Amino acid sequence: MAPGDANLGDIDEDLHSRQLAVYGRETMRRLFASNVLVSGMQGLGAEIAKNLILAGVKSIALHDEGEVELWDLSGNFVFSEKDVGKNRALASVQKLQELNNAVVVSTLTTELTKEKLSDFQAVVFTDINLKKAIEFNDYCHSHKPPISFIKAEVRGLFGSVFCDFGPEFTVFDVDGEDPHTGIIASISNDNPALVSCLDDERLEFEDGDLVVFSEVHGMTELNDGKPRKIKNARPYSFTLDEDTLKFGTYEKGGIVTQVKQPKMLNFKPLKEALKDPGDFLLSDYSKFDRPTLLHLAFQALDKFLSELGRFPVAGSEEDAQKLITLTANINERLEDGRVEDIDLKLLRHFAFGARAVLNPMAAMFGGIVGQEVVKACSGKFHPLFQFFYFDSLESLPTENLDPSAFQPLNSRYDAQISVFGSKLQKKLEDANVFIVGSGALGCEFLKNVALMGVSCGKEGRLTITDDDVIEKSNLSRQFLFRDWNIGQAKSTVAAAAAASINPSLNIEALQNRVGPETENVFDDTFWENLTVVINALDNVNARLYVDQRCLYFQKPLLESGTLGAKCNTQMVIPHLTENYGASRDPPEKQAPMCTVHSFPHNIDHCLTWARSEFEGLLEKTPAEVNAYLSNPVEYATAMANAGDALARDTLERVLECLDKEKCETFQDCITWARLKFEDYFANRVNQLIYTFQDAATSTGTPFWSAPKRFPHPLEFSASDPGHLHFVMSASILRAVSFGIPVPDWVKNPKMLAEAVEKVIVPEFQPKKDVKIVTDEKATSLATASADDIVIINELIKRLEQCRKNLPPGYRMKPIQFEKDDDTNFHMDVIAALANMRARNYSIPEVDKLKAKFIAGRIIPAIATSTAMATGLVCLELYKVLDGGHKLEDYRNTFANLALPLFSMAEPVPPKVIKHRDMKWTVWDRWIIKDNPTLRELLQWLKDKGLNAYSISCGSCLLYNSMFPKHRERMDRKVVDLVREVAKLELPPFRSHFDVVVACEDDDDNDIDIPPVSIYYR
Amino acid sequence: MSSPSKRRDMDLMKLMMSDYKVEMINDGMQDFYVHFHGPNDSPYHGGVWRIRVELPDAYPYKSPSIGFVNKIYHPNVDEMSGSVCLDVINQTWSPMFDLVNVFEVFLPQLLLYPNPSDPLNGEAAALMMRDRSAYEQKVKEYCEKYAKPEDIGAAPEDKSSDEELSEDEYESQDEEMAGQADP
Repeated sequence: MAPGDANLGDIDEDLHSRQLAVYGRETMRRLFASNVLVSGMQGLGAEIAKNLILAGVKSIALHDEGEVELWDLSGNFVFSEKDVGKNRALASVQKLQELNNAVVVSTLTTELTKEKLSDFQAVVFTDINLKKAIEFNDYCHSHKPPISFIKAEVRGLFGSVFCDFGPEFTVFDVDGEDPHTGIIASISNDNPALVSCLDDERLEFEDGDLVVFSEVHGMTELNDGKPRKIKNARPYSFTLDEDTLKFGTYEKGGIVTQVKQPKMLNFKPLKEALKDPGDFLLSDYSKFDRPTLLHLAFQALDKFLSELGRFPVAGSEEDAQKLITLTANINERLEDGRVEDIDLKLLRHFAFGARAVLNPMAAMFGGIVGQEVVKACSGKFHPLFQFFYFDSLESLPTENLDPSAFQPLNSRYDAQISVFGSKLQKKLEDANVFIVGSGALGCEFLKNVALMGVSCGKEGRLTITDDDVIEKSNLSRQFLFRDWNIGQAKSTVAAAAAASINPSLNIEALQNRVGPETENVFDDTFWENLTVVINALDNVNARLYVDQRCLYFQKPLLESGTLGAKCNTQMVIPHLTENYGASRDPPEKQAPMCTVHSFPHNIDHCLTWARSEFEGLLEKTPAEVNAYLSNPVEYATAMANAGDALARDTLERVLECLDKEKCETFQDCITWARLKFEDYFANRVNQLIYTFQDAATSTGTPFWSAPKRFPHPLEFSASDPGHLHFVMSASILRAVSFGIPVPDWVKNPKMLAEAVEKVIVPEFQPKKDVKIVTDEKATSLATASADDIVIINELIKRLEQCRKNLPPGYRMKPIQFEKDDDTNFHMDVIAALANMRARNYSIPEVDKLKAKFIAGRIIPAIATSTAMATGLVCLELYKVLDGGHKLEDYRNTFANLALPLFSMAEPVPPKVIKHRDMKWTVWDRWIIKDNPTLRELLQWLKDKGLNAYSISCGSCLLYNSMFPKHRERMDRKVVDLVREVAKLELPPFRSHFDVVVACEDDDDNDIDIPPVSIYYR
Repeated sequence: MSSPSKRRDMDLMKLMMSDYKVEMINDGMQDFYVHFHGPNDSPYHGGVWRIRVELPDAYPYKSPSIGFVNKIYHPNVDEMSGSVCLDVINQTWSPMFDLVNVFEVFLPQLLLYPNPSDPLNGEAAALMMRDRSAYEQKVKEYCEKYAKPEDIGAAPEDKSSDEELSEDEYESQDEEMAGQADP
């Protein structure tokens, strides 16, 4: 394998930003230089090609000698019925090319020779016999440089992957994680030396990791940049394989950073690996012995094919028996590692489904194999070493099927019917499905359900909703969208594309966000009629909302999400499993305010600060100015009424914009930007240093100790590109906010430098008695201790004066942060603010792209993990729509394609609560009829041995035993309280509402009871 | 499985059972005020603050947000906004904590042991480190000026109150005053 030369044109960052956040520039460049062969263009080949074209390889050759059959339409999204009879590669090329014009997509329709393989860095075979595979693999393995070879198959509900990237393959980044770091608290003079770190954050080092040190005071010998090995890694300390007895004594400071090591892998060629497969990659611990059997079964199937020239027929016991015999024969001939107990039922199902390429399997394996190709081309992430086998036998219907159920019906679903039978096919077609979200997951889901025939029958109905429109950055993985769709509604475009994959799909596209405010659109009837809900969301709040609705209406919810190369799926099945909201990740940790305000110690802190300054300067303050100008009297009254420090601060900023710092010419904007530079990066820093000079805490620790970093003011220099970039981008956006045209010369550094030199910068005098987080401007009006209201009134007066001098209708233009436009200078300002601040604190600076990832909270995303997640979910969809499956049939998955790791497990059942002779779970609801009063409701609970102390509806309290006032409500109908207190509007079609009751049993133990539905008519 | 809304009910109840004065706004449970007295052995003794408590949707998974409504001079409280840079609340919150912990433990600790090394009010922090008695003097001045009992409870239309509250919300609010305060 030769990772492509990293010497190509620039990456389209707008298109690839989400993927760049996963791979980084280097990997992307290598990818852009790689030529890949995909041989076998049934469902799996199409999925792999799709993922690679979206990722942006240099070229991809599609190889297939066969013709499209109706049978292929179950698994391949690029074929339509009119393609039947055409060569598969030729029938695929146009639709695949549309996904990304930067990739050269070509076709090969004749038999491959091994010499042809030398055109490629990686070759993938999805439909090749073992003999040929061994021949090609030998050629690739011994080629100089080696050609990465992948063989992958999906056969019904079974799949396999084999990788051989050559005898010596180097992995540059084994896990895709950023190097871990720690802030040092102490280092001992010892052998081995003990290094302790601050207990702010747990260390994530492992024994054997290599680390480098920097900024260590005292024991400066460690700052030499030499990687050192660590041992005894603990949450806040580790030991160093180094004798530090003769080193200087540790004083303070220091950062320890992990050095990521490349890893060399020695792949075995296929011929050897078949005999000596090594450890299989496991995906499901309840099936730990299966890979060994499947390793034999796939070889037996190859033998079956070569002997009979066809696949086993679904439902044919004779063919199944033949395959079983072949498997047993191979097993017999093994010298060691023989399978003791061959699972005949498993092999029978393997035989029956062998000819079918199911779309969910193709989607899942398309993701896995696509990622392996990326690894082969770039050395990024750890390759699959070397075999992976998987089955989803639990997806089969629970009832035993008669062979006749598998008979083809001469339909596009024949392959799927051959595995699941026609009865489940009918259930799929008649399902009423709701897909929430039409982004990356949504597009993949639509393709999958269209191919499966879900909601494609007379009774079937599919609703998809998304309130978002298509942006360029979506196109690198939301594959139903093209560049001419930019600006259009996602759901509409995706629905039309899905209908072109399968015209029978009964789909309706909506543009409503799902939430409490759209319950008139997604009303009770809508929910009650659904068969299943599939989440394709990108945020936790929406997921929690849909979860609550599904709980309420007792609907199965199929949940999934991705983050970079990771994905997870969770099945929420009424009464069988816990709900989505039952277990949660801890919320994202935010940096403390004080750290962000004055004591940043990493670039994230600087970027958080930059974002907040951007918002304050360019969005909020101009908006406040406009609010004032639109309605000066009301605005001033509101401020005077508030009368607090916040109001004062707001008024000061408004006044600044209209008075002292008002900009009329572009030169004014440059002056403003230059003075801002001085204020942010010199004056405030000087003030901070002044305030805390020689300060120490009561324990004697110096104020400036880790993790706080001692700041240094910047001295402005027009010849420093960083300084100049700040002035340029800040003055441009300042001009935009004042509606001043931006002259072209500003982008010429020399002319800009001249303009900046003209600015007169007043000398800074530290104030003895001012706050740190704000600047010194307030003190011009009055001292800090004066009453805010006095100052507010003074400010209002001065504002009135300014307003009189403004032309009528004068307004500012607030700027809303938009991260995805490379030309708007927003990210330039934020990166410049953050980097100048980083310089103050000697924190390493970042480029604009990295700044955009962090400040724009860009969620890294790639097509492969998304495709895999939806494939896994659709394997579960078969179970849900069949009905009658038990908990142990379902699977939740966590996977990380970077490692690679697959972890599948049975979902967790809901918690059962018992009280007296009753028991319930989160899926239950209690019902009380006949329109009770509050007293009657309390008595009804009392009769169950429950003493209610608090009753609420939404976030409103209807009753709390502590409030004397609430006792007056006793004889009122609860429905009236709900209307008056909770302001709940009860639509005419609804005859009940729900309240949440907090109560105790007679022994004062809190009892968590289900929501109570009160029927009032 | 306690649903988040039920945890709100339970925690609020426990707070009132512990004799805290809680002001609700129209029986809403997401946003309310609690009266908080400065701890005995601190220079804040004698001061009373109205603390605005906001329970986020994800409570108790996410921490409540806590702000001083009337002014306080404290190294870890932003003088302008009243926001608290309190480690436990902002950083190490866990769903195991509840509102009683906030008022019984976290806030008294904050007032007893300010942490000047992570200041939000730098001036207060610097003063505390350099001249403890001048700092305590200033704390008392602020208490005298802004945190007398009559500055909060008795006069809810006090100008230090929050701007999000409209007049009529107050009218319905004072009759909803917390249980234990009623004679």
